[in-house]
Amino acid sequence: MPKTQSINQNLQNDTLPNFRNMGVILRIVLSVNVAVVLAALAESGSWQDIAQHMIDVSGLLQPVLLSNLLLLFAVDPLLARLDYWKGAAAVLMLSAGVTQAIYHLGGELYAPRIESSLYYEWRNIALSASVAALLLAYFRLRARSLSPALQASRLQALHARIRPHFLFNSINAVLGIVRADPKRAETALEDMSDLFRMAMAHSGEMVPARHEVALAQQYLALEQLRLGDRLKVNWHLEALPEDALLPPLILQPLLENAVYHGIEPLTGGGLIDVRMYRSGNEIHLEMYNPRQEQGSHHVGNKMALTNIRERLALQFDIEASYTVESGNDFYRIHIMLPYVREEPQ
Amino acid sequence: MSVVELPLTVFVVDDEPPARNRLKELLSDCSDQLPLTVVGEAGNGREALAKLSEASADLVLIDIRMPQMDGIELAQHLNKLPKPPLIIFTTAYDSYALKAFELHAIDYLLKPIRLRRLFEAITHVRSTIPLRTEELQELTPEPRKNLSIHERGKIHLIPIEEVLYLRAELKYITVRTAQRDFLIEESLTALEKEFASRFIRIHRNCLVAKDEIEGFEKVADDEDGESHWTVKLRGLDEMLPISRRQQSIVKEFG
Repeated sequence: MPKTQSINQNLQNDTLPNFRNMGVILRIVLSVNVAVVLAALAESGSWQDIAQHMIDVSGLLQPVLLSNLLLLFAVDPLLARLDYWKGAAAVLMLSAGVTQAIYHLGGELYAPRIESSLYYEWRNIALSASVAALLLAYFRLRARSLSPALQASRLQALHARIRPHFLFNSINAVLGIVRADPKRAETALEDMSDLFRMAMAHSGEMVPARHEVALAQQYLALEQLRLGDRLKVNWHLEALPEDALLPPLILQPLLENAVYHGIEPLTGGGLIDVRMYRSGNEIHLEMYNPRQEQGSHHVGNKMALTNIRERLALQFDIEASYTVESGNDFYRIHIMLPYVREEPQ
Repeated sequence: MSVVELPLTVFVVDDEPPARNRLKELLSDCSDQLPLTVVGEAGNGREALAKLSEASADLVLIDIRMPQMDGIELAQHLNKLPKPPLIIFTTAYDSYALKAFELHAIDYLLKPIRLRRLFEAITHVRSTIPLRTEELQELTPEPRKNLSIHERGKIHLIPIEEVLYLRAELKYITVRTAQRDFLIEESLTALEKEFASRFIRIHRNCLVAKDEIEGFEKVADDEDGESHWTVKLRGLDEMLPISRRQQSIVKEFG
């Protein structure tokens, strides 16, 4: 029988969580400790009992948890190379193995229990493997609930490029200069096709920040054609490392929003300020644009922004942040994400 | 006697220079077969209004989405001119306006504009009926940003946020600002609907700006000895009577 694969499976690529991500580590520590508290509650008859039970459990559990996290942190790149189910099995074996090792190495510390050691050994293995399995299931569900954002970003980016307002006005602008300045019209059409190509091709993998900047600048060149002096952009990229990677299509949609809601409604136009820099292990992206003071009731295209936020949450968890400051006559976005380096070729 | 038709005078309004350029090129292509001259252009509604009250045009091509004053508001003010020009709207995309155009069978040009389409629109334009102001209002969900009056050959704009109250008297409406008052020919009901976010009705014939209410005062009527409420607006000495039916306003804003 031929092996068939549903479309859904094709789209859905399960991956293990990134065990070097602070958010993932925190989620693990928190859930395990909540489980400890619940277990202690279930067994206790009084308040003092709860504390006693927790201390008993923690004696073995905390070192196991810590060693597991350290080990997973260490082998994360190896795990990432395995396919999902093999990786998951490796994680389960690892956590059971670590539990065993510490139980035996602890020797004296866990002495009272060694009398009926066989039962304890199997109980510990079963418990730690189950907890690990539950956590993996949780991370898988979480990734699935957030990953539509990745698919959507592709569609939205395409849609934004074909956003009727942008597309027809740009074509109209090119037609407006084609007789007087055919060279400039050529460049504009080339820029337009690059934008379309990028929107259709992108795979969700991180891209060099300089490519994102180049794409954004091509987009701005098109808008500049229509808006002329009304659109001014200041780039501050001096402190952005050459080898920094960014998720694709982060910069351009932000700029498009700034142009549509910020610059176009202003008669005299305005200045968009883009700042990208590295600070320690973080890459920061700040964008500032003016906006019309009165009638700021404009709801606007929040879709693109929501999508960017979801993609950041999925990819970097708490290691990325996204803040918006919306003043009476300005709009400021600040994105922080981990500094990921390009692999040297 | 045969009348030699004068060339059609055309004025172009668009905030994007290449878009204006494109229109002028196409118009000049049309002029081979159709006598017309481009008499001017403007980058926004205000500029267009200023230029068009000096030199008139038969036809104005207006882009809808423009900063400061959009094309639809511009058209509404142009209608106040003694000889309102014919208007054709141009737009790249505006789902709201397009629906309204279809609904009212108003001709419009979609960008990018084709030569043939422009030619057709211009040849037919002389036979179409000018748009009415109420019709124009339905083309946009947004209220105007200004009221306008035609005064001594010029269109005078009154920013809506400067208007303190609107009062109907006979066939006119008094528009009161802190400085002076103007008369406009519009319907109070339509104004109430359009500017619902700024004005509230205090009387059958009067709308006041909500944000400008300073206080309320009860005054005794001379004739029957009964008293009624009046409202005091910021920057005005006048006390405006509140009708019995609208007295809940005193509680709401007092």
